Amino acid sequence: MKYKIGIDVGGTFTDFFLVADNGDSLIHKTLSTPQDSSEGFITGLKEMAEKLNLPVAKFIDNIDTIVHGTTVATNALLTLGGAKTALITTKGFRDALEMRRGIREERYDNHYKNVTPLVPRYLRYTINERIDAVGTILHSIDFAELDAIVSRIKIEQVQAVAICFMNSYLNSENEKIATEYLRQALPNTYISASYEVLPSVRFYERVSTTIVNAYIGVVVDSYLKSLLAKLKKLNFNGKLMIMQSNGGVVTPEIAGKIAAVAVLSGPAAAPIAGAYYANLLGYDNCITMDMGGTSFDASLVVNKQCVTSTDADIDRYRVALPTLDIITIGAGGGSIGWVDNGGLLQMGPKSAGSLPGPISYHRGGEKPTCTDADLILGYLDPNFFAGGKYKLNKEKTVEVTAKGLGKNLGLSATEVAAGMYRVINMNMAQGVRQVSVERGYDPREFLMICAGGAGSIHAGEICRELEIPMFVVPSVAPIFCAAGMLLGDLKHDYVRSYMAKLSGLDKVAFLKLYDEMKAESIKTLVAEGITEDKIQFIPSLDLRYVGQYHEVPLEVSMDDVYGFNLEAIKNAFHKEHSRQFGYDLKVEGTELEVINIRFRAVGITEKPHSLSGNITKGANTLQEALKGRRMAYVPEKNEMQEVPVYDGDILNSNFKINGPAIIEQVNTTVFLGESYNCETGIGGAFIVYNKILMPDGFKKFKVSSSELKKQEM
Amino acid sequence: MIKIDKILLSIFQRAFKSITDEMSISLTKTTRSPILCEAKDFVTGLYDAEGNMLEQTENLPILSFSLGPVCKVILDQYGENIFEGDVIIHNDVFSMGNQNNDVAIFKPIFCEGTLIGWSAAKGHQADIGGAVQGGYNPNATEVWQEALRIPAVKLYEKGKFREDVWNLIFANIRLTMVQEDIKAQIGACSLGERRLNALVSKYGIACYEAHKKELFNSTETMMRAEIASVPNGKYEGSSMVYFDGKHPGSKFEIKAIITVKDEEIIFDFSESSPQTNGFVNGTYTSSCSAITLTFLQMVNPNIPHNQGMIRPLTYIVPEGTILNASYPKATTFGNHLCPQVADSIFKALGPAMPGRVTAGWNHLLCSLFTGNHPRTNEKYVDICFMGLKGGSGALEGDDGYDHIGMIDASGGLLDQDYEMYEQQTPHLILKHEYLTNSGGAGKWRGGLGIETIIKMGGDNTKMVVFGDGDVEPNYGLFGGKGSVLNSISLTYPDGKEHVPMSKDIVEGIPDGTVYKQVAGGGGGYGNPKERDREAVKWDLLNEVITEEQAVNEYGLK
Repeated sequence: MKYKIGIDVGGTFTDFFLVADNGDSLIHKTLSTPQDSSEGFITGLKEMAEKLNLPVAKFIDNIDTIVHGTTVATNALLTLGGAKTALITTKGFRDALEMRRGIREERYDNHYKNVTPLVPRYLRYTINERIDAVGTILHSIDFAELDAIVSRIKIEQVQAVAICFMNSYLNSENEKIATEYLRQALPNTYISASYEVLPSVRFYERVSTTIVNAYIGVVVDSYLKSLLAKLKKLNFNGKLMIMQSNGGVVTPEIAGKIAAVAVLSGPAAAPIAGAYYANLLGYDNCITMDMGGTSFDASLVVNKQCVTSTDADIDRYRVALPTLDIITIGAGGGSIGWVDNGGLLQMGPKSAGSLPGPISYHRGGEKPTCTDADLILGYLDPNFFAGGKYKLNKEKTVEVTAKGLGKNLGLSATEVAAGMYRVINMNMAQGVRQVSVERGYDPREFLMICAGGAGSIHAGEICRELEIPMFVVPSVAPIFCAAGMLLGDLKHDYVRSYMAKLSGLDKVAFLKLYDEMKAESIKTLVAEGITEDKIQFIPSLDLRYVGQYHEVPLEVSMDDVYGFNLEAIKNAFHKEHSRQFGYDLKVEGTELEVINIRFRAVGITEKPHSLSGNITKGANTLQEALKGRRMAYVPEKNEMQEVPVYDGDILNSNFKINGPAIIEQVNTTVFLGESYNCETGIGGAFIVYNKILMPDGFKKFKVSSSELKKQEM
Repeated sequence: MIKIDKILLSIFQRAFKSITDEMSISLTKTTRSPILCEAKDFVTGLYDAEGNMLEQTENLPILSFSLGPVCKVILDQYGENIFEGDVIIHNDVFSMGNQNNDVAIFKPIFCEGTLIGWSAAKGHQADIGGAVQGGYNPNATEVWQEALRIPAVKLYEKGKFREDVWNLIFANIRLTMVQEDIKAQIGACSLGERRLNALVSKYGIACYEAHKKELFNSTETMMRAEIASVPNGKYEGSSMVYFDGKHPGSKFEIKAIITVKDEEIIFDFSESSPQTNGFVNGTYTSSCSAITLTFLQMVNPNIPHNQGMIRPLTYIVPEGTILNASYPKATTFGNHLCPQVADSIFKALGPAMPGRVTAGWNHLLCSLFTGNHPRTNEKYVDICFMGLKGGSGALEGDDGYDHIGMIDASGGLLDQDYEMYEQQTPHLILKHEYLTNSGGAGKWRGGLGIETIIKMGGDNTKMVVFGDGDVEPNYGLFGGKGSVLNSISLTYPDGKEHVPMSKDIVEGIPDGTVYKQVAGGGGGYGNPKERDREAVKWDLLNEVITEEQAVNEYGLK
């Protein structure tokens, strides 16, 4: 027996999803160990061996691949717990990092502060070197200047150095010489050079990304080394792969070197898993939503591909590497309800976290949270939270809510809870709108895939707000990212800036850049154990109309690149521009301009055959799965009503459930409002569809990517 | 009688906000002029059938008041003749426009045949006709030398495109880009129309009307509570404007007389100087925006932006003053009187609300280059955003914000990226860094200013300069110190130096000329000797201040 395991380290829980080569699977959760997350990682593996009745050594021996999503990089950035880092840059440009192009996000709040720069000004050194706008060297490196900086760096005990020079994307010679010199002079210091991390135009993006890479590099590298040592101690002989922000996986060696690729290592797996489920149901397009304790993530899959952006901000720090486009808003089970000065009810973004937690946890929480509202509204069973592992105190929750918010608003506890439920749903719908409408996509044409234990209580109302006709709750919803990790391919992204009018492209130079990137990618993937026949190449170009400021990334085919088929590229651009922005300038004959050329190499990995969760025995009739009835809030009627409650863990055959109803599983609760029907037993998931928007049932509704209508502007 | 549902109230407020945000996103993505898609100099809004603001997304605060008054003008002008499918365009500063370049599109929204509201978008256009491309003409004395006037006129009536009107307007505007950007504004308004229509259809007109009223009331309650926290009294403050573009040495006073009575506040600027004979004049709307945005910085930043917010505020800005020039005076500079309006309000209210005012912000001094790019042999236009942005004033509890730019934008204006700049212009940037010692000393330090040095490329470059802040340094508060002056200078290849006036045009600048600009920092707040010693040492270590300043101003031993 061989196992593949996805391991997702989150803030509260570390999630595991194991798939055996015979198709069996196992879901497991253990408490995270934030001080050293490799401990929870190892504990969980041992607990799983126990669950499978296997000696640990035997179990470890059976593991052939572990794919790991880690928050080490994210946390180092969010808590400013990275390395003491210095920057060496071109004279005259010392402050670009801290200036962030002069933006203050909050216009009316004079107490709003700039972000703490990852490198303070006194560690930002400049040298008198310069490349001009066509790549000519105006000043070469003066080693005496570098020597002086090296001695400062030694005195300051700097652990990491970032190097980023003006226009080095056009000519990296100066930067290369400086980097090699520093690697010799400072052999124990982590050196991050912009021509290695992000060789593309836009100085602020490049300097910020190179510095983030240096800042988290030491932390990520040492974490991975310690994890590998612990695994080695257990005689682990399989492969360890790390999830990247671009939705691909990578070896720990590369993740240690270019740590910035792992900055969103955890949540990146959700859209990957979303794409898998959408495909299973015959859909090319879906939205994934993942509602956790403090935050709500939403992302898009279009034409089976996860949507990627190259201008991600992590807590206001710019990381301009290809990153899955994930919108995060402060809405989760722990979000606190409050009343503003104008008397309006608000939800979040403050969260009660796990301590003191919601009132119902009875651990000292005094402020009503989303989880408390879900309990008051009857969606959660106080005796069956996490399958009965924790008891919720409903009486106290009702009492505190009525006394606090209820008194303030002149409403009963139930009315307050219903309000909280509606307001937070509105907030989450806004998050989905951001990730779809803002990108030029109409959410009504997407399938919603819903993850996180509480997400499926709220998904129905979010979908109704956005007129999304259907949502799917997979059996792996509570460990969705861990499941998605098993589906990631090896992915490497390359970029070169090449600025020219499209019609004036120099074929030889253009193809030479592609040849370079291709050769580099093959070398890297082969070293990671991929055979050449398992490699896919996806070239793309950043293009714009001459005169525009924002470029549009356009995926093109290898045939068009190597056949130098500029006409086809042009036509594809007009189409894409029209889809995103509602118009094109084809008739006007406006020229196109190339900014960057990009190249993605994908090494296809072996995938598990199935992702269904650990369902053991099934119910023969729907009646058999009926656990009872209880009062629950039906939003369509704005009132409490008695609804049936089904045991979701045994609903693995084909049944149809009419809303309103509740389906309970150990780690997930699905609420069907009056607008919804649900079908069970399909691909290990609950398919919930809107009766009015899909009167003929879910199979009749399908939009392929070619039919995706452009957003009317 | 509709019963008010408190929850539905929250939902309406959020829905309005998400609609104007969505309109704003659409405009960012579809416009072509960098002033719109990069600097985001535009506002989107929703108004009710009487022209009351439901919600706004103003990317630059100077647009916070700029749509509402126009909506009322349109309602008066068209009366019964407003139909579904109409699209109305407007920029006229003598019928409540704020600046000639800021062109508004309004679209009426109907539900079941009844007018329920308006969607609107206003953006700063790259050109609006007049004598100088781009609209900033320091030599102008009358509106026609500045711009094409567009009083409210329909571009569409009942859904039918009026091509003749369109052609008349755009025959008078230099760049075709402006047509594309106006189309984008119409697009954003259609989006707002669809969304508000869907929202009101869902809940019914009566329910929407009742909740809208209640929402205004609840916001008004918030604003009244904020005003009530200011002690009653009459407060005065003033600030100077230097040089009108025509008369060297001329100066003008902007004077605020603010009366706070319980939950209401009156901003009276009638004692300000009379209008000028140059282009340094405000419009009623731009001046009210400046007042509003300044006051909003002193209250809870989370108050919803609807009509209720401005109800307790009274504006007195008489026609004929520098803040409200009468027909047909030139006014394009008007938005940039905002720094002095803000100064006068902060100075006036300082004693009454010391915890909420800031020391002086850096005033705008700005340059715009036009020329030929030798590598591409194409013309370029560039406002040197990166050079113009100084620091904000400190306030109790916090240092000012470094390199934020003038208060009219409050951090909404982005610098160019250096490498893109060197591609798009023939210039080479030699330096763009924080200026040491530029933050006004104080217990809380003023935000840092900036020093920019550029080696200009290409022959025969033209430079338009406009702004202020080169005569009087901005002020510190409660013992805090002011900052350094703004300056712009050119050093020609032959070594000669030229310092342009603060409103000026310089032509024929040769290749190799060195452009040097200083944008000063913000003023400090409180006695610098009381500044946290660790903060002083940290500033010294980071070369934000020199040892001399640490010892002399901050008393570091």
